[in-house]
Amino acid sequence: MYRTLLGLFAAFAGALVVVAATLSAYTPAPRADFVFVNGSEPQSLDPHRMKGQIEGRLADALFEGLTRKDPGTFEPVPAVAASWDVSPDGRTWTFHLRPDARWSDGDPVTAHDFAWSWRRLQEPATASEYSAVLHVVRHARALNKYGAQVAALRGDAAGKDGDAREGVIRRFDALLRAHPAGVPFRAWTEFVTDDRNALRDQVAGTAESALVAPLSRTSGDLTPAEGEAVLAALGREAERRAAALALARAHFGVDQGAFARDERTFVVELDALAPYFLELTSFYVTFPVHRKTVDRYGLDWFREGRLVGNGPFLLASWQVNEKIGLVRNPTYWGASEVSLRTVDVLPYDNQTTALNLYLMGDVDWLPGIYPPDLIDQLSRRPDFHANPGMIVYFYRLNTTREFLRDVRVRRALAKAIDREAIVRDLTRKGEIPTTTVVPPGVPDYASPSNDLAYDPAAARRLFAEAGYGPQGKPFPRFTIVFNTSEGHKKIAEFVADQWKKVLGIEVQANNKEWQALLADVAKLEYDVERAGWIGDYRDPKTFLDMWTTGDGNNETGWSDALFDRLVGLASDAGSLASWTPAQVDELVVACREGDRMRALLAAQRDAADAAARMEATLAVRLQLFREAEARLLIDGVPIIPFYFYVNTGLVQPDVEGIRYWGTKDGARVPNLQDEHPLRDVSTARSRGSRP
Amino acid sequence: MSRPSPVRVVGGLATGVVAFVLLRGVLGVAGGAGAALGVAALAAWRFPRAALVRVLWSLPLFLLLVFVSVQLMFRVPGDPFASEKLADKAVLERQRDLYGIPAKSFAGGCEFYGAYLRRLVVDGEMGPCLKVQGRSVKEVLLPALPVSVSLGLCALTIACGLGLFLGVRAGLRPNTFRDYSSMGFAIVGVSLPSFVIGSLLILVFALGRPFDWFPAAGWGSVSRLVLPSVALALPYAAYIARLARSGTVEVMGQDFVRTARAKGLTEREVVLKHALRGAIVPVVSFLGPAAAGIVTGSFVIETLFGIPGMGQWFVRGAVNRDYYVVLGTVLLESGIVILFNLLVDLALPWIDPRLRGRS
Repeated sequence: MYRTLLGLFAAFAGALVVVAATLSAYTPAPRADFVFVNGSEPQSLDPHRMKGQIEGRLADALFEGLTRKDPGTFEPVPAVAASWDVSPDGRTWTFHLRPDARWSDGDPVTAHDFAWSWRRLQEPATASEYSAVLHVVRHARALNKYGAQVAALRGDAAGKDGDAREGVIRRFDALLRAHPAGVPFRAWTEFVTDDRNALRDQVAGTAESALVAPLSRTSGDLTPAEGEAVLAALGREAERRAAALALARAHFGVDQGAFARDERTFVVELDALAPYFLELTSFYVTFPVHRKTVDRYGLDWFREGRLVGNGPFLLASWQVNEKIGLVRNPTYWGASEVSLRTVDVLPYDNQTTALNLYLMGDVDWLPGIYPPDLIDQLSRRPDFHANPGMIVYFYRLNTTREFLRDVRVRRALAKAIDREAIVRDLTRKGEIPTTTVVPPGVPDYASPSNDLAYDPAAARRLFAEAGYGPQGKPFPRFTIVFNTSEGHKKIAEFVADQWKKVLGIEVQANNKEWQALLADVAKLEYDVERAGWIGDYRDPKTFLDMWTTGDGNNETGWSDALFDRLVGLASDAGSLASWTPAQVDELVVACREGDRMRALLAAQRDAADAAARMEATLAVRLQLFREAEARLLIDGVPIIPFYFYVNTGLVQPDVEGIRYWGTKDGARVPNLQDEHPLRDVSTARSRGSRP
Repeated sequence: MSRPSPVRVVGGLATGVVAFVLLRGVLGVAGGAGAALGVAALAAWRFPRAALVRVLWSLPLFLLLVFVSVQLMFRVPGDPFASEKLADKAVLERQRDLYGIPAKSFAGGCEFYGAYLRRLVVDGEMGPCLKVQGRSVKEVLLPALPVSVSLGLCALTIACGLGLFLGVRAGLRPNTFRDYSSMGFAIVGVSLPSFVIGSLLILVFALGRPFDWFPAAGWGSVSRLVLPSVALALPYAAYIARLARSGTVEVMGQDFVRTARAKGLTEREVVLKHALRGAIVPVVSFLGPAAAGIVTGSFVIETLFGIPGMGQWFVRGAVNRDYYVVLGTVLLESGIVILFNLLVDLALPWIDPRLRGRS
């Protein structure tokens, strides 16, 4: 018996030693000035390889761009750039950097740092997923994408498999030879969508009409002549892209595109008109990184002890799954404006845990991380804040499905949904129901009205016109897929139920694991999919250009030549001033609001000076987007918008600087992008009124 | 002393190899090799034959396990670099290259398998973490393991103490109020999932005044250990109580207990000296796999209490398609399961004299 007891005793003593040893490895730190729950570990702290809000909150603390967002108005204000000038045509921006901007190792932050960083962002080797936000910069797209496209078109000698070595052009040649009497439409579509070719991606943005027309065609075989024209155009396209790439490699970051004129002058040349450009310069993807550190450590340069930043805070510690510790950066030029001395960032993704900690006072800010079922109780609290955001909730319709080809069917589906009821009874945070995709609050822009609002009778009528319904053909059973989430499930079931009631069709609501869903949608293997889209900057472009032909985020199979053209023209709205009357007429006829377009174009052409012309050009640009949105949601309807999200959060009463609403020109404005830079936050602790 | 046999020599070597792979990360190559030699010698000389056979078996088992896991990962739809905002194909390809992940196919899986094993055996590395970039799998799993082990050991201690007490108490007086009350507790404990128990504990002992004695979440102090340990322990305690009860009931009816009573021992001595040993045999058999599970962490408890342990990686690795993390957890979990079963096999004859001399 004693042996047993002794054994037990030894076992427990051993256990105690292990526990004590583990716990003693943790030195209890005093509570930080500010603690918030971030919802997850950041995937990366390299601004060029970040892709979401979780990383963005840390990027804003550790780095600083040319501009930053004012905490009161949410407008871009000077940061590393003390001032800037814009050329009269709006295409060249010159930033004058402040002399006292420093890296945390003491080096000055120079224009060369920005030139090198922006080039690194576009280098394919960096594998940035967000590099496209700066594709408006001259040469950037070429540097970033053309290498891979030329290799895919011409074949890549270094390609790993036979397909890659062969190339799209040679494969299309083989297709032509196999069909001497013309390529049948089906074979052509298969060729275009074939994963090995991904033809739309390879020639995205092409001006070759011999390519554009066949690519946006929805029926009809390719005649032998058209086939040869496509082949020739592919060759020319590869040629053109190779030449552009060579230019970009030689000049981007050196003396063109985005480059340093001297230590403190950073010049950016844009390919397109981008009134939102200053928002991009305060967006973390455009932040500079420290060249010496990146060169020295490579892929893992941003770990604690290595990371050199230029932001208001330093990375003090990073215990995975436990916390990230930030401390105020003494070398930051605006350090005297920063109140918080220490910040703890908790990675917890469990909403209940986060709320518990908040309720106990251990956490100062919960950015929307709480159990959604408690929304009714929480939204009544005085420390609960909400504002409309720049996120749209919508369903994608797979327009390549036989039964979803007819736009009347897609319209009928959209009109059979009572969005008010969804927002009132299901989501309950005060979301804004919508039939458009560009959220309110985008400056100077108003979405065109469309005919997708809830109207069961009209929906039934459209359905009957398309040949379905009680007197027509039976509609096939189909499925709404959504990533596993209680909220999406409730909405999908509600929608399925409405479609059944209004249109009499059988719809299944199926959840799917996130990764599996993404894979299916990318392959267009779905009927209807729930989706969301977050705007990157306050401009219609971020919500509209994804629906152009060949955009990787389109994923509906929808392709519309006029829509592509409108979006394309919007980026180049300045050139419309020099159009001939015939060209203007042609565009005006295609527009829904033709008279308005004609008036705006006339105003642009007759502008008295450069400033007036710029103003008129910007108006034309927005009108083009307005037409594009009308085209998308009146004529196309590849998606059904539901509502705009609201940003919510719980903020302890003593916290200042976490603002959900601000004021601009005396009016109350929402913090659309839900950005709350820690630089401008203070708490009772940091202000010194509490130890 | 047993004479040298092929099993002893090969088994000893195999144990040495396992020890080397495990220890080199902590002790370095030279230290690991030295320690492994010692372990190999000790194993060949002193380990029971059954244990050596088990170690020998575990080697091909590991290889097979990793192979099957890799192929399954490469079958499952999804990609570690996919997100709702679709990245360019070329970008995804480049990211796969950066992190050494071939295209998804059987052949790609085989290539990945070969590269992974080479990295594991030759470099002693388990690959980079894909969702928390800048870290290696070893760097995220190694600090997480002791956290889960400490939590697990506390929970196990509570579970054993409470479970054995209730179970033996019930088993000594079957079908009385004592029995019913203990087993009632056990049924509640087995039926209530640990997240419910955890939430209730937080509600009462963290948020509920005047009992707000403990923090609601976090790690790093004794007070933060209490609620999660109890929440993790209760279901196990309930199960152990049921096992201990049936063990006790069975043993108390046996001849040797009657003999013990007949020779005039007090009831206390009968129970403690003779009955208990037999009664805890089923408990110990259960403890092997249970301890392996409890020590490698509980996803539910760890997320609920915000504890930086192992459990989260099992789930997150799979959900995020973080291939290297998945394989790391597979290796770790299987190693621990094999180890604990081995320990139980070694411990049982030591506890129960009836099982001695069988191996």
